[in-house]
Order: sequence, then C-alpha cells, then structure tokens
Amino acid sequence: MIQKILIANRGEIAVRIIRACREMGIETVAVYSEADKEALHTQLADEAVCIGPVPSAESYLDMEKIISATMVSGADAIHPGFGFLSENDRFASLCEKCNIIFIGPSSEVIRKLGNKSEARNTMQKAGVPIIPGSHCPISDVREGAKVAEKTGYPVIVKAALGGGGKGMRVAAAPEEFEMAFRTAQKEAQMAFGDGTMYLEHFVQHPRHIEFQILADQFGNIVHLGERDCSVQRNHQKLIEESPSPALNDDLRAKMGKAAVAAAKAAGYTNAGTVEFLLEGNGSFYFMEMNTRIQVEHPVTEWVTGIDLIKEQIRIADGCPLSFRQSEIQFIGHAMECRINAENPDENFRPSPGTIIDLYLPGGKGVRIDSAIYSGCTVTPYYDSMLAKLIVHAGNRTEAIAKMQCALGEVIIEGIDTNVDYQYKILDHPDFQTGNIDVEFIEKIEKGQSPIR
Amino acid sequence: MKLHNMFKKTKREKGEDLQNVERPEVPEGLLRKCNKCGKAILTEDVKNGYYICPKCHGYFRIHAYRRIEMIADADSFEEWDQGMEMVNPLNFPGYEKKLLQLQEKTDLQEAIVTGRITIGGYPAVIGVCDGRFLMASMGQVVGEKIARAVERATKLRLPVILFACSGGARMQEGIVSLMQMAKTSAALKRHSDAGQFYISVLTDPTTGGVTASFAMLGDVILAEPGALIGFAGPRVIEQTIGTRLPKGFQRSEFLLEHGFIDRIVEREELAETLRQLLKMHQDIRADQIRTAGHINDTENVASLKVAKRHWRDAETRSAWERVLLSRSKSRPSGKNYIEALFSDFTEFHGDRYYKDDPAVIGGIADFHGIPVTVIAQEKGRETKECVRHNFGMPSPEGYRKALRLMKQAEKFHRPVICFVDTPGAFCGLEAEERGQGEAIARNLFEMSSLKTPILSIMIGEGGSGGALAMAVADEVWMLENAVYSILSPEGFASILWKDSKRAPEAAEVMKLTAEDLKQIGVVERVIPEPAMDRLDREMCEFLSTYLAMTPEELVEKRYLRFRRM
Repeated sequence: MIQKILIANRGEIAVRIIRACREMGIETVAVYSEADKEALHTQLADEAVCIGPVPSAESYLDMEKIISATMVSGADAIHPGFGFLSENDRFASLCEKCNIIFIGPSSEVIRKLGNKSEARNTMQKAGVPIIPGSHCPISDVREGAKVAEKTGYPVIVKAALGGGGKGMRVAAAPEEFEMAFRTAQKEAQMAFGDGTMYLEHFVQHPRHIEFQILADQFGNIVHLGERDCSVQRNHQKLIEESPSPALNDDLRAKMGKAAVAAAKAAGYTNAGTVEFLLEGNGSFYFMEMNTRIQVEHPVTEWVTGIDLIKEQIRIADGCPLSFRQSEIQFIGHAMECRINAENPDENFRPSPGTIIDLYLPGGKGVRIDSAIYSGCTVTPYYDSMLAKLIVHAGNRTEAIAKMQCALGEVIIEGIDTNVDYQYKILDHPDFQTGNIDVEFIEKIEKGQSPIR
Repeated sequence: MKLHNMFKKTKREKGEDLQNVERPEVPEGLLRKCNKCGKAILTEDVKNGYYICPKCHGYFRIHAYRRIEMIADADSFEEWDQGMEMVNPLNFPGYEKKLLQLQEKTDLQEAIVTGRITIGGYPAVIGVCDGRFLMASMGQVVGEKIARAVERATKLRLPVILFACSGGARMQEGIVSLMQMAKTSAALKRHSDAGQFYISVLTDPTTGGVTASFAMLGDVILAEPGALIGFAGPRVIEQTIGTRLPKGFQRSEFLLEHGFIDRIVEREELAETLRQLLKMHQDIRADQIRTAGHINDTENVASLKVAKRHWRDAETRSAWERVLLSRSKSRPSGKNYIEALFSDFTEFHGDRYYKDDPAVIGGIADFHGIPVTVIAQEKGRETKECVRHNFGMPSPEGYRKALRLMKQAEKFHRPVICFVDTPGAFCGLEAEERGQGEAIARNLFEMSSLKTPILSIMIGEGGSGGALAMAVADEVWMLENAVYSILSPEGFASILWKDSKRAPEAAEVMKLTAEDLKQIGVVERVIPEPAMDRLDREMCEFLSTYLAMTPEELVEKRYLRFRRM
C-alpha cells in the first residue's frame, strides 16, 4: 500500500497531485527549489524538502537529489507529474533499482517509446497506422518517384540530416516531384554536405487528436476518449477540448481501438496518451505516445467522471482497473484554456512578477487548476503557465459560452496574461464552428484569418 | 499573503505499517559522493563518463588498469614485470606487512603497472601509476619497473608513455627512493639519445620526486585539467613562506601558463591525442611526401578575401606602401597560414623555463603526409586578440619555445617551417630581465647547426633581430608585400635624420622589400600574393630537395649561406 508520495514537480500539477493524495489519505512530500520556498505546492504538502538552487538542472531535474529526498522523507512512491523527469527512463530505472514506486510506466517502456524510430516500428507491427513513407534512405530521383507513387501524394521530401526546415520540399502531385526532390536534395547537400533523403506522405491541414488510455498491471487497457488539441502556437497547446468536433462515433471507436492497440503493443501500464494526426478525409496516423499525465487531463476527467491522478496511483499500487471500456461514458463537452504569464501584444514575452490582486471565477461547470494566490510571485525560471481554466457544459456551444463568461471574470493584477487573447480566439468564427487545424493560430498571426 | 502553516495536513493512522513490505532503499554502490563538489552522483554515470563528475566536471583519480583500458586498443595490453618482488631496503619496521595489506586491498603488486599496448594501431610502451598504492610513491620497485620498461622500449625502438600520479618519494625506502629519481631519468636520457619518443601525462596529483624526475622529462608533456602538479606540496610552501597561496596555484592551467606543459587534454580526448602524437612520430623519409595533396579551403579564411584587393597593382607599389601593407590588419596572420597549409596541427606550449608566450605559436602538423614542426609569430586580429598575442612581439620565452620545438624537430628529423611576422622582439622591462638578447642570440647560435631542414617565410613584417631569431634557415622566402629590415623606417628616419615623419623616404633607401632583398641575396624566393597555392607547391619542392640531404650537408650549406653575407 502506498502511504506517502513524493511529488517530483512544482506548480499546478504538484498541487493537483497533492489534492488527490489527500483525498486518498496518502501523505505527501513536496520538493522545491530555492525559488519556490513560498510556492503553493511547498506550503500545501504535508512535508517539503528543498532540493537545491533555482536552475532546474540543479533541483527539479537532479535525479540524485530527488532520490535522496525520497529516502530522507520515507516516501514509498514518486509521482513525476509532467515535464521535468516524467519521461526520463533513467530516472524511472533509478526508482526501480531503489524499490521506489514510480507512478508511471516501467523504465523499459519509457525508453522504447521515447525512441521515435523504435516506437514507429512497434506501432507498425501492431497494425497502428503510421505516416506512409520510405524507411530507407533515397538518393536517386527516379527511385524517389517510385516510392512517392506508392506512398501517395502529396509527399514531403526530407533531408536525412535535416533540421530547421532546410532540405524539405512538398510535392503535391507527380509532375512536381522531380523539381521538389532535386531542390531539397541540393539544399541538403549545401547545408549538411549529404544528399540522402527520406520521403513520406505529407499530411495536409492535420488536427492534433490524442487519446487518453489507462492500463493496469493485469493487462486491462481502456481508452477514455479523445482530446482535440489543434489550437497550438509554436507547438504549445492553448485550448484543448473533448470531444473533438471532428470525430463521429465510428471514427472515435476506430481511433480508440488503435490507441488501445498501441498501448498494448508497447506493454504499457498506467496513464498514457497516444497522439495522432488526423487528416480531413478521416485518415489518422500515430505520432507518438506520451508516457505521463498531461496538462490537459482535466478535460477527459470531466467528460468521463474519472479522476486520472487517483487512477494513476491505484494502478501503480497494483490495483486492477475498476471499470471496463463499455462502462465508460462520455457526457457533455469539456474545454480547457491555459492561462500563461505572457504578453501577446509583445510577441508573447514572458511576464514574471508579483500578483497583487487575484480573482478567479467559479460556479457550476467551472474548474480552476492553479498554484497561484494573491501576493505570490511568478518567477521567470520555470514554465509560464499560471492556471488552467476548465469548463464543462452540455454541448460545445454552451461550453464556449461558459468559457468566455469565466475568462471575463478572471482578474490577475500585477503581471500580463493571455486571458484576453484566449477570449478572442474563442470568438473566432472558425473556432466556433470547429473548423480548425494545427495551423489555425499561425493563420491568425499571419493575418490570413483575422480575429474579430 | 503568507501561506505558512495555513493548510490542514493529512493525518494518517499510525501503526498500520506493513512489516513485510519492502521499503525503498538505495542499493549499495548505486550512488556516490563527488569528492570535488560533494554532490550525490550516480556511480554508473561516473563509470560511463570517463570518471568525471557529471555535475562539477571534476576529475576522479583512475585505477591503473582502467586507465589502460580507456586509451589502449582492446586486448592490446601485455603486462611486463607484474610480479616483481617487494623490497625493504632500510628494513623499515612494519613495511612488508603494510605492502602485503595493500596488495590484498588493491589487487596490485606495486604502485605502477607497465607493459606494451597499441593505440589506434600504433605500438607503445606504457607505465601507469596507481594512487591507491601508498599514493603511488616511487620506491625501488616502481623505479625499477619504469627503468626496465624504458630500457626495453629503447631496445624495441618504441615510444614510451608514462602516466604520472604520485605523491613523490617513498618515505619507507628513504635514500633508496631518492635514487630512483636519478635512475628513471637516466633511463629516459638513453631513450632520448637513441632518438626515441617519450610522452609524459601528468594527472592529479603529480608532486615531489616524481615531478622532479620522469614526469617533467617528456618530449611532449600533457596534463589532465585541474591536476595538482608541483615539486613542493602547497601546504609545505604555505608553512614555509607564511602566506596563503593563490587559487589555481600549481594546477595544470597554472603550469601551462608558466610554460611547463605542452597541452591540457580532456580525458575524453586523451586516447585520440595520444594516437595522433604517435602517428606524427613515425619515421619519415623524403620520398614520403604526397604531392597530390591539396591545400585547405583558403576561401574560408575570411581575412584572405579582405586582403585580396591589396593584391592588385603589385608592380607599381612603393616601398612605403609595402611597409603599410605588411602591417595591415587584413593580411592573413601566422595562424591563417597554419590553418590553410597544414592539417592536424597540434599546438605545443611553453618554453619549459618560465612561460608560454602567445606571440609565438608552434607545434607539429601534417604537410602532404609528412610530419613537420611549424612555428609562427602571431599578431592577432581583434584588439583583445592582439593584446593577448602582444601584437606579435615575442618575449624571450617565445624564442625559447621556438628553439625548444626546433630541437625537438631535430631529434625526430622533422623539417621546421617558420612563419615570420613581427614588428620586432618585445621591448620591455620583463623582456630585458629575462634576457631578450640572450634568447635571440641562442636561437641564431643553435639554428645555425640544427640537423634538420629549416625554411623561414616572411609573411608580413620582418622586424630586425626579432625576425632573424626565427630566420637562420636553409632558405628564407618573402611574400611580395612583406618587408624585412634592421629596424622600422620610422626608427631609421629618427636615428639618421632626427625626424620619424620621414619614414616613407627611409623605406625607399633601406632596401627592405622582397624584391630588393632578393637582389641583395638575403632571400631566395619572392612569393607573389595571394600566396597559399604557390607556397604549397614550393614548400613541397623545398622539402623534397632538403629532406634528401644528409644533416652534414644541410648544416654546411646553411653555414655558408650566412658566411658569405
């Protein structure tokens, strides 16, 4: 029986985990850096251990210190949260060696899924769709054209040693292929001194759809539906929702099945997320599997009624899942906005400082997960996320309305936030009709799809 | 708002702890403490990371066999004299017992392991001290094993690599221990006289009698970063002089600055550095030169591009214009020539007396397949760099470093190529205190009879004695816009005409341009600019010709070259 958990994290997720533990009667140990002495998680936990100076590398990322803190405090398990050490297989392995329960999958699974090509192979073998393309390097244009034909247009040609968009070209149709291939190859030759290319199907205007799964130690695996996280800025998610306006029951069942198959193929235990790219025509492709709890987990919690953190702890403690796939029901529509300390008018420059006045909304169907309080200081050293505002309503339209009402009540004085920016995105006609893809924000910023 | 003690805490009923449940526990040996920064680190990380602390980058001491594993080709190590019997020359009470205990504890017979290895295929004789055994102090057995290994290397014509890590003499063996200093040094002298190569690698700590014998006698001396290296220990010095020693005193970096070691090498790069050095010290023959080789991409040397615009209208240029051109900051500097014309340049530092002078850079490099010693005067380009290189004005230690490298080249029959570019030898208090005149004179004296080919190329300013000290060569070449003179035109004008403003006039009468000097017979060739391709070709030619000569022929020819002037 887990009796005491050390939370190897900070901010709202640490608070979220402490709350779940408290409900379960489990004692909590917070760890904190010198910058977080006054942080909510430090004060809220039953005990708190200082693990070093401000830089994360010397505190929240210092495995040896966290292990030492676990020993000193007598905790029997570690919850890693997200970020920091949560997907570090060496840390998980260290916990295993020290007989500490790591609340997450085994180190072996983390390692395997962390290796992109290995994960891709595993998924392909398990019949999970992956982006079609060449698995072997191509240097000849004619050979490339043949592979492109088999892969299906449009295709993207990428330099084997590529990066930063160099040596990358899209060919929409066969007649464009030769030009695209030669240009990309020439660029690659110039930039990296190597003209070896890879080729894969180019996924057009994809949506980011991810499936939450839970797997116990007895081989039971369920999925808890999807989250649509297509509203992203520079690969940072801004708004997440469940269900996705792009999925019908058939597609949901199909993708859910693929997600479960992916988890099974990986030998997965605990909570995890399978990420897919979804094309307009309903084709979907495995991207990666995240081996941790995610920021946007409350969205899933609200439509399913399942407390994911508590489930994580129970699974780690050796309990079987208490529900089957058929017992999971999805009710209403949930949506999350991330509130960050940043200034959208100044290119989203981080805005650390002291919060002088704070008022956060409440009421039916409104949830706030945060670690801020009136008078607290937001430091520039870590993630800029201040709070997650989550709403739940009968349908998407009502959820958007509720979210806008709630955002309208938020008062955070002393620092800049993206609250108004979020409000405007919710107001965008394309968002309201659910007509979005991962390029949605980029289009707005380029002025191609102006905010009202 | 302060939150301290405001929240209700979880209350767990005590007494329900399950006894049979395994509690978390850190297995023995999983973690260790860094003895430099004191932080907890994973033993595995240390082992997989060259025994360097992943947190503070401090170096741990390494056991002898691990060290060998780290640098030698797999399975190439053949141990010599493993079971040499222990001795107790002074009948020191309890000494045998102590040795037996240590043998038991460390699984070593004595404080040094010797034998033969290959590194990247190149064979060498190796000796590695192990600090676990009485701080690797040098008793009779240690001295004997080193002497035997060196003697055997001499006989087999193999290079020697010794890893020093020692507290010095072995107290229990008294005066006999002292004699090991002489014994090991003598064996190394014979090895050296036989023309054989010795690399000394200094690791933490190298002190006392070991520093004062084999450790400091390497043809090349390498050191690990941050190692304590010194004769007297820091505590002894502090007690004697009654003051605190400065931070970094007697550390590798301090020794490098003071000219006693050639390079500081990170542990990760040690095997590759050793391989490179062994490769460069294989025997060479004149016919080995690969004329097919290509010079490096000179287009990438940014400075060359800038300089190109000066390379027009060469015919009509006045002497004074050439003086200004030779001083131009946009001209390629010594470093640029080394980069463009040679590959695998390995810089060696220090004069072994007092300091490393950044105004002179030197080392060994590959030129068309043969190892050469390259020495260049370096001015630097940006202000900070210029200050560091003292604007290309060498101090006595710069000339002494150059001479040391030339003597080394002579020993290994490597040709010497000098790039000369200096306003003159540094004119300052310290330079005089340390004998600027003596240093220059010594170079003229020694270079005149150096038994290996020397080529000097004037690439910019040839400032008087400061230039000549690197130009007593078989041939002296000048780039078309270089100058070479007894002193600066400004100085000349002010001495003769009491007016330094008449320098342009002076330049014309001084006969300091390449073309003039060729007519006088002071230089053999004038190289048109841009010079890289031409230099490359003509240097090949020079080496083919001069490497074919016997040392006697060379020296005689060089003697006559200056004798007739």
